[in-house]
This record gives sequence, C-alpha cells and structure tokens, in this order.
Amino acid sequence: MPPDTTQALTASRYPGSPASLRRPSAPRWRNWAVAVGTQGLRAGGLILFLAVLGGFAIAAPAFLTPANLGLILAQSAVLGILSLGLTLVLITGGSDVVGGGIDLSLAGTLGLSAATFANLNQAGYGDGACVAAALAIGVTVGLMNAVAVVRLRILPLLATLAVMNICEGLELVVTENTTVAAASPLLDGLGQTGPFGVPVLGYVLLAVTLALGLASRRTTLGLRAYAVGGHPEAARAAGIVPERYVAASYVLSGGLGGLGGIVSVAFLNSATGGSADMLLPVVATAFLGFIFSRRLVPTVTGTLLAAVFLGSLSNGFQLLRLSTYWVNGIEGALILAVVGATAGLSKGRRA
Amino acid sequence: MTSPSGTPALAMTGLVKSFGPTRALDGAGLTVASGTIHGLVGQNGAGKSTLIKVLAGLVTPEAGMVAFDGRILPNLRSGDAEALGIAFIHQDRLLVPTATVGEALFLGREAAGSGFGLWRGTLQERADAALDRFFGLTLPRGVLIRDLSTAQQQIVQITRALLTDPKLVVFDEPTAALARREVESLFAAIERLKARGIAILYISHYLAEIERICDSVTVMRNGRDVAHLDAKATTTSAITRLMVDRDVTELFPRHRNRPGGPLLMVTGLAVPPQVQDVSFTLRRGEVLGLTGLLGSGTKEVAKALFGLAPARAGTVSVAEQPVVIRSPADAVRRGLALVPEDRRAQGVALDLGLRENLTLASLGRVSRRGWLDRNAERTTAERLVADLQIKAGGLEVPVRTLSGGNQQKVALGKWLARDAGVYILDEPTVGVDVAAKAEIYRLVAALADQGVGILLLSSDLDELLGVCDRVLVMYRGRVASDHRAADTSAASLLDATLTGSRPRETASHAA
Repeated sequence: MPPDTTQALTASRYPGSPASLRRPSAPRWRNWAVAVGTQGLRAGGLILFLAVLGGFAIAAPAFLTPANLGLILAQSAVLGILSLGLTLVLITGGSDVVGGGIDLSLAGTLGLSAATFANLNQAGYGDGACVAAALAIGVTVGLMNAVAVVRLRILPLLATLAVMNICEGLELVVTENTTVAAASPLLDGLGQTGPFGVPVLGYVLLAVTLALGLASRRTTLGLRAYAVGGHPEAARAAGIVPERYVAASYVLSGGLGGLGGIVSVAFLNSATGGSADMLLPVVATAFLGFIFSRRLVPTVTGTLLAAVFLGSLSNGFQLLRLSTYWVNGIEGALILAVVGATAGLSKGRRA
Repeated sequence: MTSPSGTPALAMTGLVKSFGPTRALDGAGLTVASGTIHGLVGQNGAGKSTLIKVLAGLVTPEAGMVAFDGRILPNLRSGDAEALGIAFIHQDRLLVPTATVGEALFLGREAAGSGFGLWRGTLQERADAALDRFFGLTLPRGVLIRDLSTAQQQIVQITRALLTDPKLVVFDEPTAALARREVESLFAAIERLKARGIAILYISHYLAEIERICDSVTVMRNGRDVAHLDAKATTTSAITRLMVDRDVTELFPRHRNRPGGPLLMVTGLAVPPQVQDVSFTLRRGEVLGLTGLLGSGTKEVAKALFGLAPARAGTVSVAEQPVVIRSPADAVRRGLALVPEDRRAQGVALDLGLRENLTLASLGRVSRRGWLDRNAERTTAERLVADLQIKAGGLEVPVRTLSGGNQQKVALGKWLARDAGVYILDEPTVGVDVAAKAEIYRLVAALADQGVGILLLSSDLDELLGVCDRVLVMYRGRVASDHRAADTSAASLLDATLTGSRPRETASHAA
C-alpha cells in the first residue's frame, strides 16, 4: 500500500453520518419508555394501594378505626416476617425469577417451627427452651438451603422446594396432623395490646422491619449484599466473596421462618396444619414489595408495605363479608403482574 | 521516552507461555514509562491478552521476567497486581447496575474510617469529590449506574481504579462500546492520568486511536514483540505491515468454478443500532467473506439474514425472488443454512448421536407422516459421515465426545442433508485443529463448486484470503470496502478492518 494513504486512513476514522456515532445502546424512545414504565409502576402501585384502602374505608366504616388498623398490622405479622426473610434472599440472590435467589421453604419452616414450639410447650418446657428450639429449627433449615444452593449449586427454586417438602413432612410427624394448643406467659404477652391500641404482634413486625431496614440500608454489609445480588462479578472484583452473603441470607431467612413460627403460635394460640398455604402469599408479598422501591429492587420497607397491603385486603374482604379466598387469586395475579412488569423493564434497559 | 527517574514503570521481557501445542507467548516483552501512554497492538491471537493476563497474575509464564516500579516480581498471583499499584480497566464494566455512583465507587472499601455504619451522604460527597478531582465531572445526585451513559459508566470505573492510587493503568479495548463523543471524553480522561505521572498501557484494535493518544507502541505477532515504535513518528500502514504474518502454510484448496448468477441479494439492510444500510450480492458458486472488528455488525447481518435479529429496513431476495425472513424457520424454507460460531451451544445437540444430529434439519426426508424411518435416517447419516470424513465410533455416539473439528463437520453436515442453497458459516474454524481446518476448507470449496453460495464470517485474514472469492469488510455498521481475494493482501484487509478505509490497490494494481 502506498504510504501516502495513511493520512486518508487516519482522517477517515468514524466515517458515516452522525446517526452512526450515537451511543450504540438503547434508542432514546426505549430509555424514555423504561423510565416512564419504572415510575408508572411505582406510582401505580401506590395509587392502587391507596385506592383499595379508600374503597374499604368508604364501604366499611369500621376499616379505618385505630383498632382495626392495629389488627391489620398484627394479622400481617406472620406474612410480613416470612416475606422479610425472602426479601433478604432476593437481595443477595438477585431477583431473576428462575436463576436468582428464592426461598420457597419459608412456609414449611414456619409450620415446623410452630409445631416444635407448641409440642415442647405441651411437654412442659419453659418459654426459653421453646423459643430456642423454634429458632434453632429455622436456622437449621436455613443452613440446609445455604449448603444446597452455595455448596451443591442446586437451583434455589428447586433446592428450597425440596427443603420445603422436608419441613412439611417433619411437621406432620411432629403434630400427627392435629392442632396442638399452646399457652405460656410469652404467648400471653404477645397476645396483648400495646401502646396506641396496636397489638404487640404488630410491634414485633415493626421492630423486625426496623432492624433489617437499618442493616440493609445503613451498614456496609447491606450495601455489599445488594451489590452481590445486583452484579456478583462486580462484587467479586471489589473483593467481596458473594457466596458468603448468599449463604448468610438463607440462614437469616431460615431464622425469620423460625420467628414466624413463634408469632404464628402466639396469634393462633396453637400450631395448626396448613402452613403450606403461606407459600404463595410470601412470594407475592416479597415481589409486590419491588414496586414500593425507587430502584425497583427488593427492599425491607417495600416488603412491609406489601405485607400490610395484602393484610388489608384480607381484612377488608372480611369486613365486607366477601370470601377471603378471592385474596388467593389476587395474590397470584399480583405475582404475575409484578414479575412480568419488572422483567419487561429490565429487559428494555438491557437492550 | 522515560520517566524523570529514568527507570520504566513496567518492564516485561522474554515471556514464554504455551497452551497445549500453541505458543501464546514466545519471548514477548514491553516497557512502559511513567507519565507516558504506551500502545499495544497485534492481530487476534498475537498474544496481547495472554501478556496482560501474565501481568494480572491470571497466567503463570514458563519463562521471562516482570519488573514493576523498580522491583522484579518473580511469581505474580491473582490480586498481586492491584496491591502493587496496577489497575485494569476492562471492556466490560464491572459495576452494579442498581447502585448509585457513590455506592459503586466505594463498594468493598466503603467504610474508610467511618466504621461499620454506612452514611450515604458522606459516600455521595466523597464520590462527587473524586469525580471532580480526577475528571472535573459532576453527575446528578443519587443517579443509578444503569441510568448513566456507557462513557459515564466507564469514567466511574476508571475513577474507581484511580481511588487505589495506581502507578500503572491498563486499558483493554476501552472504546469498543463507545461513540465518538464519548471516545473524546475518555481520551481527555486518559490525558489527565498521563499528566499526573501515571504510566498507561493502552490496548486497542483501532490504530487511529493508537496514533492519536499513544507516545510509543509495541507491535506483537505470533507471541513475540516484533517492534517498538515511537507512535508519533510511525504510520498506521507501517504498523499494519508489522502485524501481518507473511509465511502462511498452504491450507487452501481453491475451487475452480467461476461464480454464476446472483443467488442472495441484500439491499439496504439495517439492524439498528449495529448495522446501517448494508447491500451486497452473493452469486451461485461464490464464497463471499464478511469480516470486521467486534461490533462492526457482521454478526448482526448474519443473524438478520437467518431471522434471528429483527431488520428495520432492507430487502432480501433469494434466487431473484424477494423474500421476507422473520424467523429461522422462514430462512430454512428459503434454502438458507446457518452454522453458528458457538457450535456447542447452537450448532449441535451435544447429547444426541450423529444419526439424530445429521438428520435434524431434514426430518421431513427421513420420516413418513411423522414417523421416523430409521433406515432412511441411517443411510443419510452414513452418507454424510463418509462424505465429510467425520471420525467417530459409530452413528449412535453422542456428539459431545467428538473433537471440535468433527463437531463442526456435524454442524455443517446437517444442512448438507437438506441441500440448502445459501450457507452462512460463522467462524467455522475457531477452535479446530489444522487438519480439520483443511478438511473444512476443502468442503467449502466443494460446496461452492456444486453451485451453492457461501457467506463466510471470519476474523482470520489468511482464511478469508485463502477460501473466499471476494471479501467484504464492515466498519461501524457499514460495508466499508469490497475486495477481490486474488487482488488483495492480508495487510490491506487488516488495514480496511482497522480503519474502515477503502483501499486503492484494487484500482492501482489489479492483477
């Protein structure tokens, strides 16, 4: 080649019209659509929430009384605590529905922990032993999940479903499929009504939320946990060991499942079967919580709001004498809507 | 050019590293002085990335020496480089998309004296201060990484590296995903680093970039450093000549037929955002090469033709019939066949046997009313195994157990059973040994002699020159030039690939 072409070569870097020079990522309209979609989803969630509350308040005057609102909080306690456990797993595992983090064993953990608590209570053990056993059950289940997911590298969806089955089986063995009544000073205390007419169980939910909210938003641990879920390789490049955070989130989730068991016994004054019915509501609550966060990610406060929202639905339906079985269907629809919308938005963002 | 103290910041010499039979590094080395920008260029497979992996401690060399900051480093291990003050800026940005700039900048070292708690306000202030100090840049408060432009993300990534106070920053193809304006802001950022006395190693395929910002440049070829040049005193064509290997073994059987009438005509094809206005004609019996840098749009053209990527504009006709291809099924119906680059994921069903794989694209011919005809399957498969000289222990052996070259023959062979008219081969010889390569070339030539058209996507210049009748070079989404293989050289093809230039030699000294 003649050397004098060199000038022509260097001059012709980036040939073509300005259109070819634009940022080679998503076209502008799509960025715009994603931004509108993100904000629309958040606003839509809040509007729906307020509209439902408003609707109930008009249709059932008893709905907005302080006593009823406190009751809603207490009714949401078990669901809320379990969903907070799942939220932790979603934070570190990423919210990809198939490959990301998920803990389906929470409902089973709740049942097994409640059954253990009630059985030990029946057998005459004190509150300390019962609480310790219930929490230990939860942590053990969490460890099983952690080993299955982090060590054995089983898809969380499958691993925790299998563990859920183990828990349910053991629960049936412990309770022989009967309702086990329980009574103790601790349970009495939890059944009381605290300041401002809010039941103690409502305060338990708020306390757990506050603790986890601070840990996730105000500590370096929380930031790193989010980083692990958001981009594991980036976290690893920053010197973080993602596996530790994922494992810890499953163990904590299990622990919260154990706590949920105790709260459930306090709420019902017994351990009853059918804890598996909690599986779908827990998943619905944690995913619904996404739309209450600015970044459309799992957050502790978002999950609390979602739990209270679903709690109000059940409560409102009861007040209106509608079948609460409708709530099951609504929960399923919400899962599809929220997961579908957030997945669509993140796909738009990637493209 | 040397640093004030006279010692280079980084000196690598005599590095040797083999992977199996291939020598990735064969006595390679380079030096980078403080306060200078040093370019590293070479063709794919010249050993650039292995050299960088040695520096990063990801690859242990068999011989040679690395010295940094006046000290000899005998065994570099992963993570050592960062601790010594070497920062790597990779092509893919390792940032958490849902984090704020402050969170992303300080992830992993957030605390810095403030203990266990995390104060986002402080983090934000420190981030603002760092971005302003290094780049004079202000980003909106609380903005998330995913909402930044690619260049802004890259600036964040560089700032993150600078917070460790490095003495050497290695940029690996940093402009591959950037638009022009963004490239300029990146260059300004790199100039700032240089002014701070930091040594910079800059790896890029774009020679114009090397000429624009580098002070000196090392050219690599076949695992060696073949030249160290003053970047300001050399020319891109001189660098190109050094990058090209002249002695290539004769692997290529040339097919005899003259190309016939037009078979596949593509007009004004656009696949936003990577491809704009691509037109070409593939004739019967022709082997047409399509090449270009990563991101130049060649893959998207192939995908669009096979219905795997949506085309925004353009017309395609096969055998002078206009066709609309919206899915691979449409493409197959029109007689198109695709042999994808990632054959293990897309080209073959790894756990199925040769019989199933070879008849998968032509099940209509080996079945009756939905029932498979085992005999027809076997005859077809046996014929193909013999024709293609596939080496396997029988028709029922899972394809997983075959060598790369034989797997590739299976991926190709399943279309032969269908008598496709247009074959799109995407990097058909990547990861294939020399003997199998020669057989694949022979097969391509034989196919062309039968009158089919072949579109060969490849980044191997010798392969393109050896196998193709014509080669189209794409640059930033357009066909930049059209070369007759007989009249061109590897150097001018490489030149066209790297700079998008239209070569003169087709006019000046046509054979």
